[in-house]
Amino acid sequence: MKVTWKLPDGGEIAADVKDGINMMEAAVANNVPNVIGECGGNLSCATCHVYVDPDWMGKTGAADEFEDAMLDVAEAPRQDNSRLSCQITASADLDGLVLIVPEV
Amino acid sequence: MTVWTPTDDGFADLTSHDTFVNGAPHNTFARLRRDDPVHWTDWDGGEGFWSITRHADISEMNRQPQVFSSARGIRMEDQTYEEYLARRTFQETDPPEHMMTRIKVAKAFSKPVIAEFENDIRKLCDDILDVALQKGAFDATKDIARQLPMQMLGRILGLPEEDLPWLVEKGDALIANTDPDFTDHVLDKMTTDEFRMMPFNSPAGAELYSYAKDLMARKDAAGDTSGVLHLILQPAKDGSVITEEEFRNFFCLLVAAGNDTTRYSIAAGIQAMCHQPELLGQMQSEDIWDTAPDEIIRWATPAIYFRRTATQDVEMHGKTIREGDKVLYWWSSANRDDTVFDDPFRVNLKRTPNKHLSFGQGGPHVCLGMWLARLEVRVLFQELAKRITSIEANGPHKFLRSNFVGGIKELPVKVVAK
Repeated sequence: MKVTWKLPDGGEIAADVKDGINMMEAAVANNVPNVIGECGGNLSCATCHVYVDPDWMGKTGAADEFEDAMLDVAEAPRQDNSRLSCQITASADLDGLVLIVPEV
Repeated sequence: MTVWTPTDDGFADLTSHDTFVNGAPHNTFARLRRDDPVHWTDWDGGEGFWSITRHADISEMNRQPQVFSSARGIRMEDQTYEEYLARRTFQETDPPEHMMTRIKVAKAFSKPVIAEFENDIRKLCDDILDVALQKGAFDATKDIARQLPMQMLGRILGLPEEDLPWLVEKGDALIANTDPDFTDHVLDKMTTDEFRMMPFNSPAGAELYSYAKDLMARKDAAGDTSGVLHLILQPAKDGSVITEEEFRNFFCLLVAAGNDTTRYSIAAGIQAMCHQPELLGQMQSEDIWDTAPDEIIRWATPAIYFRRTATQDVEMHGKTIREGDKVLYWWSSANRDDTVFDDPFRVNLKRTPNKHLSFGQGGPHVCLGMWLARLEVRVLFQELAKRITSIEANGPHKFLRSNFVGGIKELPVKVVAK
């Protein structure tokens, strides 16, 4: 699938991501700034916080209970479209996904 | 020039606390990384264990808590199930149970909440440095490094200031339970059976528990809900509340872990300044503060290892780790891995990227207090650098007697204050 990260400076990073890889791993592999993933995708930090482009919110689904709690820990302000990118996994359904990287 | 050249013969006994009194045995770690990255050690103090020493291997294993579990203990020493249950904290649990506790306190330790403490920390540094620097020659661990984390712990937990020295002494007795300078009950030198159900197998655990109970009773009576202790007592989303034992162990964990790790990071940073004189100038005039704290914390690596236990057979580098085997992640080795860190024995305050593992990054147990640690380290060194024109060693420094906590316990320095 193809994913695009919109960066705080107005730039974009686009990459092809294999199914099964999560968006934190994909962001780290593609040197997307401000997406760190200090806990390795284990829901113990919020350093992979992103905003999902509103057009994609229906397809990425909603945060579960633990993710919801951890979103309160994120550095950038929480919004309705806030997600932890380690909890979004690449699949054919999400081809073309657009994620907005917060300013931190 | 390097700051410090390891002197071990490359075959150090990793089970011996005495091995670590001159610092971690980095020649041994370098040999293991090169020749035997999944290394078995037989041990007369308990079951043997595997040592993982390469940064890449530790990173890969750490993100798989379902394969390498924390829920059977996190130190080399064996525990019975009964002891494990009595002494465990959320450090000794796996997801999802780990998250049930962690989400209660995660916000209190989050980057934005911790950032609010910056002015408080700066004020504390003012007072601490005023007292220490006017002495000219002093023990930097005792007079600087030990002071700041202790004061901050008091603020975070909402504790009365007059109790702090006693608490820190007890915290030291817990976590430095193998160094006779810190405890009368040296873990590997006497029978501590009497305390085996207490946190850290230490009598200090019982004293801290009794303190915590009294404290909460006093705070409840006064309607005082300041500090993170009240958060941990809140019911979880499923309505469950933590048991008295769990509360005691959490309190002991904060007092112990919240104290000495930042202390020894600060001490290691001051040691580096003594041996790499250019660091002071960089701190005074260069834009290094986004990267310097992590480099100082890499250099320090206060937690030398954590243990996991394999939940299934795993083949790695030609060895078979069996289900139930203990596996040690040697953070200290990973942080000197020259396949990841250019010139690892040199402190480079601009090091970027800096994928050190001092906080256990890459796994669910990544340090809860990492933002506080980074902030304390940054502000302390900013304030120290403003106030001095030189700093040098004033005699040899001494490391803790422990293969678990890496720290300089005595650090004589001489400074010239501005």
